[in-house]
Amino acid sequence: MSAILTFWHKEWLAAWRNYHILILAVIFVIFGIEAPLMAKLMPDLMKLALGDQFSIKLPQSTSSDSWQQFYKNTSQIGIFLLALVFSGTVSQEVSSGTLVNLITKGLPRYAVIIAKYLAAVVQWVVAIGVSFIITWGYTAYYFPDDKSPHVWLAIWPVLLFGLFFVAVVLLGSTVVNSNYAGFLVAALVFASLALLNYVKAVKRWNPIALVTDNLDLVRGTEKITHILPACGVTVAAALVILGVTIWTFNQKRL
Amino acid sequence: MHNSELFFNNLPLFVPLMFLELGLLIAALISLYRRQTVRHGNRLIWTLAIVFIQPFGAIAYFIFGREVD
Amino acid sequence: MTILDLQRVTKRFGDKQVLKGLDLTVPTGAIFGFVGENGAGKTTTMKLILGLDTLDGGQITVAGQPVRYGRAVANQVVGYLPDVPAYYGYMTSTEYLTLCGRLTGMREPDLSNRITEMLRTVDLPQNKHRIHGFSRGMKQRLGIAQALLNRPQLLICDEPTSALDPNGRSEFLKLLASLRGEMTILFSTHILTDVERISDQVGILHAGVLQVQGNLTALKHRYARSQVQLKFASSAIAQQAVAVMGRPATQTATHVAVPFQDDYAATVAAVLKALLAAHVVPLAVDRQETSLEDIFREVTT
Repeated sequence: MSAILTFWHKEWLAAWRNYHILILAVIFVIFGIEAPLMAKLMPDLMKLALGDQFSIKLPQSTSSDSWQQFYKNTSQIGIFLLALVFSGTVSQEVSSGTLVNLITKGLPRYAVIIAKYLAAVVQWVVAIGVSFIITWGYTAYYFPDDKSPHVWLAIWPVLLFGLFFVAVVLLGSTVVNSNYAGFLVAALVFASLALLNYVKAVKRWNPIALVTDNLDLVRGTEKITHILPACGVTVAAALVILGVTIWTFNQKRL
Repeated sequence: MHNSELFFNNLPLFVPLMFLELGLLIAALISLYRRQTVRHGNRLIWTLAIVFIQPFGAIAYFIFGREVD
Repeated sequence: MTILDLQRVTKRFGDKQVLKGLDLTVPTGAIFGFVGENGAGKTTTMKLILGLDTLDGGQITVAGQPVRYGRAVANQVVGYLPDVPAYYGYMTSTEYLTLCGRLTGMREPDLSNRITEMLRTVDLPQNKHRIHGFSRGMKQRLGIAQALLNRPQLLICDEPTSALDPNGRSEFLKLLASLRGEMTILFSTHILTDVERISDQVGILHAGVLQVQGNLTALKHRYARSQVQLKFASSAIAQQAVAVMGRPATQTATHVAVPFQDDYAATVAAVLKALLAAHVVPLAVDRQETSLEDIFREVTT
């Protein structure tokens, strides 16, 4: 327990000194501002693009447009940027040999993986949480309508998805000794889950629902109970993958 | 309706964005010029990327260009 | 008393059998020079001792406790200096040593006192400079500081001098020698003179087994190749000298080598007496000691 805590401190120092926290903070604050901004500008931009000859009445933007932009950014770019930042976390230490010293000093191998996992999950939650709160503030200010009744409910699945996605990145980074392996494995898993979604029967059980159904949850057109099976699968898969990662790392020559 | 009007109507959104990108730009340039070597390309290429492709140049630099210690 | 004991240790990588039943015993308090050619398996042996790799067969005991892979039971007992220490470049030396100390179970305020003390011992400044700016020599010194931090009973150094310049090597050996009495030291090297300078125990690894091990003086005795070298004016006189000497001797051109077992003075006296009686006068008399190199050459060929 104390070893996990010690290594967890080291992970945060690394994230800070290697500018990972700065990158994540800036990107996710930008995402948070960008979503309401795009929603706000859209009608004006359309007008500029089309010119005055079209006198079609363009619909005004709503809070729902802002949230659409937010979840698009998060699920298409945000989570992959997180995966990219965490990508080399194990492979880099293995290839440079930095762990040898610490392991011989009594750092248990499982503590390395668990501390890295927890630190990454917390970064995931905070990054996405910060951009969510910023979008929430601007959206409430600019679009005070009733088009998004379940704003606070819809973000939870994204945070939960982090448990699974971070575990996949860590597994990739542990199995393959390359700095981009974690990211590539995670992208591959994500693509496979997206393909799997074409099978109607498994849709409710597919973890990917946690980052694709959010807008329907915001609008209230889908109940959270609909994706509860997917939530269960996500948590279970996260635990299994984390276990496999620890097992793999135990076998690894350092 | 002009571009400038779009900008001034949405100051609360644009101003923080500008500060963030400026901050990231400065941090990336300081980091770039304080170290001896970079990965993937050279200092000039990264400088151009950081300055002209905002904010992705700076982000790409921090993720790919920094030699890891 | 034995602090480290390896029995019938075997290890293979793919189809290459690196260790073929290695027996190694390090007595408590010794400075043990672990000698072998590059690739003989010295690093592998050390990694096995540290529980960093799996044993194929045999048993390793450190301070009476068996070593198991992945569980560094002996971490409170052992300090390790890798051949090329890898650090976190974004940390300062103090931060790195704090991390190491915490992992071995050291607590404040003992830890920070000990860090200050160790940095002074290895002559590194205690400041805010990050490790990525350190020179090769500074990293090596930080390596010593981290290895000695928790006052280990057994210090294991993997080729500690091979990357250092002559001055750095000399300083490092002096430091190791100064630890005699405080802890047992096992260090691997292919530089035989380093071993002769500071070790009292030596083991020679060759072809997967320890060819020889023991007290250096005793080994020199056992492999005694001590000789008296005599030089003569011509090879004819040298030949004559061998004939009159009345003991085994070998002649090469103007030189004659006379092996001896115990007392140099007695041997020389007897030889000279015989020579003078026959009116054969040597130009020079010199003593040649058995060197570790002689032993090494004898057991590895």
